[in-house]
Amino acid sequence: MENQRQGVDMARVITIDYDRCIGCKTCETACSLVHEGRINPAEARINVARYEQIGVNIPVTCHKCEDPICMAVCPQKAITFDPALGTRIDHSRCIGCKLCIMACPMGGVSLNPTSRQVIICDLCQGTPECVKVCPEQALEYVDSGIWSQKKRREAVSKLSRFLEETIQ
Amino acid sequence: MNGYAGRILMVDLGHNHIETISTQEYIAPFIGGRGIGVKLLYDLMSKDGGVLEGEDVLVFMTGPLTGTLAPSSGRIDVVAKSPETELLGGANAGGFFGPELKYAGYDGIVIHGRAPSPVYLAVFEDKAEVRDAGHLWGKGVFDTVRALREGDQDIQVACIGPAGENSVNLAGIAFGLRNYAARGGLGAVMGSMNLKAIALRGTRGVDIAEPDRLRDTAERMRERIKAMPSYREFPEWHYKLFISLEEDGKSFFGNYESTAWDERFEAYESVERFVKHAEFRLETCFGCPLRCWAYMNVEGIGGANVIACQGTLPSLVNFTKVKDLSKVWEAYLLCQDLGLDTSGTSAAIAYAMDLYSRGILGPSDIESLELVYGNADAVVEMIRRIATREGLGDILADGVRKASQRIGKGASERAVYGKGGLELWLMEVRPFKGVALSAAVTDSGSPNRATYGLCEFYYRTMREHAQMAARNLVGTEAAAIPTTYEHKPKLVAMYEDLHTLADSLGVCSIPFMPVGLDLWAGAYSACTGMQISPKDLLTVAERTRTLERLFNIREGTSRQDDTLAERMFREPLDHGPWKGEVLDRGRFEDMKDVYYSLRGWDQEGRPRQETMERLGLR
Repeated sequence: MENQRQGVDMARVITIDYDRCIGCKTCETACSLVHEGRINPAEARINVARYEQIGVNIPVTCHKCEDPICMAVCPQKAITFDPALGTRIDHSRCIGCKLCIMACPMGGVSLNPTSRQVIICDLCQGTPECVKVCPEQALEYVDSGIWSQKKRREAVSKLSRFLEETIQ
Repeated sequence: MNGYAGRILMVDLGHNHIETISTQEYIAPFIGGRGIGVKLLYDLMSKDGGVLEGEDVLVFMTGPLTGTLAPSSGRIDVVAKSPETELLGGANAGGFFGPELKYAGYDGIVIHGRAPSPVYLAVFEDKAEVRDAGHLWGKGVFDTVRALREGDQDIQVACIGPAGENSVNLAGIAFGLRNYAARGGLGAVMGSMNLKAIALRGTRGVDIAEPDRLRDTAERMRERIKAMPSYREFPEWHYKLFISLEEDGKSFFGNYESTAWDERFEAYESVERFVKHAEFRLETCFGCPLRCWAYMNVEGIGGANVIACQGTLPSLVNFTKVKDLSKVWEAYLLCQDLGLDTSGTSAAIAYAMDLYSRGILGPSDIESLELVYGNADAVVEMIRRIATREGLGDILADGVRKASQRIGKGASERAVYGKGGLELWLMEVRPFKGVALSAAVTDSGSPNRATYGLCEFYYRTMREHAQMAARNLVGTEAAAIPTTYEHKPKLVAMYEDLHTLADSLGVCSIPFMPVGLDLWAGAYSACTGMQISPKDLLTVAERTRTLERLFNIREGTSRQDDTLAERMFREPLDHGPWKGEVLDRGRFEDMKDVYYSLRGWDQEGRPRQETMERLGLR
């Protein structure tokens, strides 16, 4: 389906399937290598919050909000919005005030402890490395316009499985 | 410095003194991980240094690939003199601790001396300090990890449970709430140092020489891992493993009395039902697509992470013949929390059950415990008593061989172990001549640290794969046949070298061979900027292997110590595809001759002068 829509203008997002993530952190190492040329999860634009005591792994990254609060609060107008790639940060304007980090409700913005710069996912300019390396396809790069409708169909199929099992 | 952090932390607990040394001089000869670990232990431990007497040296060492984009790179190697074998001890653990140590800026940690009271080592970025652990002493692994993670869930923890505190030789070192450097009693070493835990967090990262090359190489490596037959199997391996052991003819039951147990298929079905009904989520180690791990939770008992491996649930079931999986799960949780090696502990309990059934242990020894196969409550209670060294638990806590010496009355004849007295891995060794040789000549006593995945393992179920591996490694398919003695020395030496390299580079030995040495060498070069060929890597492995041997020779071992328990040569298998198989003493000794000469060692198993000169040792 994705291929059939080739050439259609679309805004895409990275979606996260929490059930699929196995907590390997390959997304983090790959992200830091691509953006910083070195390996450091603390310098990655995506991080997996691991909860070992319950076996749950939750990747956290920028959600590419439609109405980004990070952009709204930035006093320097360093964060702008690109129709295809969403929020982006201009480091020449950023003063490192961290308001965006405080305001983001998703934990999607962070501070690179080495460069002391605010970092936000840039979707690798349209070919996100984290999605490419994820061994479980827990991360996908999808057309945000039709993705939510796909989710509805997925929910229906889950519900039908549940009903079948329950009625038996 | 690329690939490496460049520094090793040296902690003297006796004098509360911390300093660092450079990793540099150890890199060319020993690469990292196990290689550098063994070198540091050899240099720092004095000859005949007592074990658990304040003279121990405990080394945690990552490799140049640990924590990088190279797949399956979460490993850390731990070496010390083992209290169980009183020879070289070593174990390797996955998880997330190794990567975090490197991100904090250290390739390894060397600990020596004994703290005057319980302490833990805190490493936050490049700041390391020894802190009071009075509030943690006595706590289980689960509570210790939780306490040290308070305020930051991303803190990585290595710790011991009560078993390690009580100098139990079956005590391992836990990494977080899951992985273990389980074998050889390294947890007891940590306990005797009064070191409860190491807590660390690092955000400094690792420099990489050629990022693009590493990306490309890692992608090819992941593809090869996903092509492994086990990759497809692992999500269901937690119960399928039992059947696989059976089909490969590797199962045995109890204390090696039989390769059949009437109720085994009932037990396997019970495992399958249990796993399918548990809350179940697949898990994995740092950077690894394989998902050997799962989190399982069962209402009323509890939840934990567990690896689909014969050292965990299969050990408990097959050694102690307990079919009630909720009890097995309880026993597993207890081992994880008390800080015990599940495999060795299960073997020690089965050994005691065997002795009791033969009257070698009497009613007064077992203190009202009905210590018979299948009695789940007795297993759970015995685990507790081993960890706290109560009654018979105090004797079994020493491990099977030492326990047999304390019990006397013919107990030694029933004891089964490999080199140095370490309990064998959960697989029958008598038909598998390569595994038997490996368990005898390996210097850490652990055949799975030496040759896990030897192609003999899967000869019955994946014959073509086994033959291909044998052909590639030693030039003949016949080497894959378990029961032949020919070609085994060379096969064992090759597998040993590959394992040593996986443990030295800081990656997991399970995908090591399927990925291929060419790509590992490529990843090493991409990370470090230093060119190395597969042949150079094999020389590093040979050097490390020979230094391991020199460590044990310094401890006084010779050819006669390269052996297994007598029963493996005397009692033929009673059932199954290998019925009648037993080890032939003469042919076993012949294998050793060939193995020694392949290694450049003399017929006493001592490295020859020219071998040491060629490898630059001493």
